[in-house]
Amino acid sequence: MSRLSGIVVRAVATAVPHEVARTQDYDYLTPEDRQRFQKATGISQRRISPLNQYASDLCAAAAERVIDHLGWDRASIGALILITQTSDQPIPATSIVLQDKLGLPQTCATFDLNLGCSAYPYGLAVIGAFMQSLGISRGLLLMGDVSSRVCAKHDKSAWPLFGDAGSATALELDESADPMYLDLMSDGSGRDAIIVPSGGLASRIPPPNEGPVPSTVGSDGISRRPDNLILRGADIFSFAISKVPPSIKRVIDSNTRAVDDFDFLVLHQANKMINDTIAKKTGFSPDKSLSTLADYGNTSSASIPLTMCANADRFQVNRLVLVCGFGVGLSWASASLTIPAKVVLPIVETDDVY
Amino acid sequence: MTYSKVAVTVTSNGVYRVSIERFIDRFAYAIEVEPETLSVDTEYKELDVWDSLNTLSVIAMADADFDVAISGKDVESTRTIGELWQRVEAKLGKS
Repeated sequence: MSRLSGIVVRAVATAVPHEVARTQDYDYLTPEDRQRFQKATGISQRRISPLNQYASDLCAAAAERVIDHLGWDRASIGALILITQTSDQPIPATSIVLQDKLGLPQTCATFDLNLGCSAYPYGLAVIGAFMQSLGISRGLLLMGDVSSRVCAKHDKSAWPLFGDAGSATALELDESADPMYLDLMSDGSGRDAIIVPSGGLASRIPPPNEGPVPSTVGSDGISRRPDNLILRGADIFSFAISKVPPSIKRVIDSNTRAVDDFDFLVLHQANKMINDTIAKKTGFSPDKSLSTLADYGNTSSASIPLTMCANADRFQVNRLVLVCGFGVGLSWASASLTIPAKVVLPIVETDDVY
Repeated sequence: MTYSKVAVTVTSNGVYRVSIERFIDRFAYAIEVEPETLSVDTEYKELDVWDSLNTLSVIAMADADFDVAISGKDVESTRTIGELWQRVEAKLGKS
């Protein structure tokens, strides 16, 4: 268990594209199956980016929102960390491109992290420790994914789950800030549970410059290109309901607090069955477990800040929240943190390209 | 490990057991069919109602009723309800 002090959240913003994809319009499921899917997952619609909009665009829109809101001089921003699994290109890191697009100074340290569902608590730990150790007073933690771009549209085990979004959290060194408590976990033996098999050097199919991209049919009968995402829902479900509640409990215990002391539980938005089970097992009442599954689905790395922003009206006063992300990796993490009054901004809708 | 639920019993030599009748009852509830329509030999993935969401329901049932984590592979590699019941029994009391 780790404790991080002296770092405060100044603003949180999230951007989503305009286009809405509805479960009830999804052609690859029968009308009855659409209803069953909606009941089990809680997902009735998601936002999908236009083909020329990338994770960097959504994150840039969210970053512009927090910078404008705070009136920060861009020259004062010393760190930008982007967490995404749908970077604009393999090389260079998209965070560096964002330094330029956002007009940040060359003195700004930037790098990417490759994490998905667990991004928010991990990101808070990384940027918080980085700013603390190096004495960087202001930083931006960006995270977002355009998962619609890596799922095959006919893949009913993945496509109707994911929405696109990008977020920005502005952080500042502040001696008076309440400490964060962090629980960071990994289990690479579960790497096949959510995977894009091709693209990396270990498994690039076809090899560079050789032949067309072949599709293969999986044991579930679904045909996918090797650069499509495969999601094994049953394995994720089993992992999430058994491994995640103990992580949340460790954070509560180390904080020497009780569940009732927390204003909200903000989980990665995986699906309703998973999230309801985790909330129940950890003792959070349904009204304290914020959910945006119905309108935005699973937005991967952006899901936790998106869920706060969609409930911005509930952050008008100081809130003690427990955030918890879990999934691809397998990677899971929980954190307790104080969100000061009025720092969570409502969701921005944009198709802008930077 | 203590079970608050009546679903699990402990034998005098400390072995956790769940009756097949009790397991079938919970299984039927999870996939929303009548227990009388199922038996130890039912090939559950051949049922008309079976789909991938039922896999999640059964995993959730094993977690809630028996405190057992069954995996996607447990479902993939078993055929009958009896075989799945044996997997659950083997994991009882080990979480």
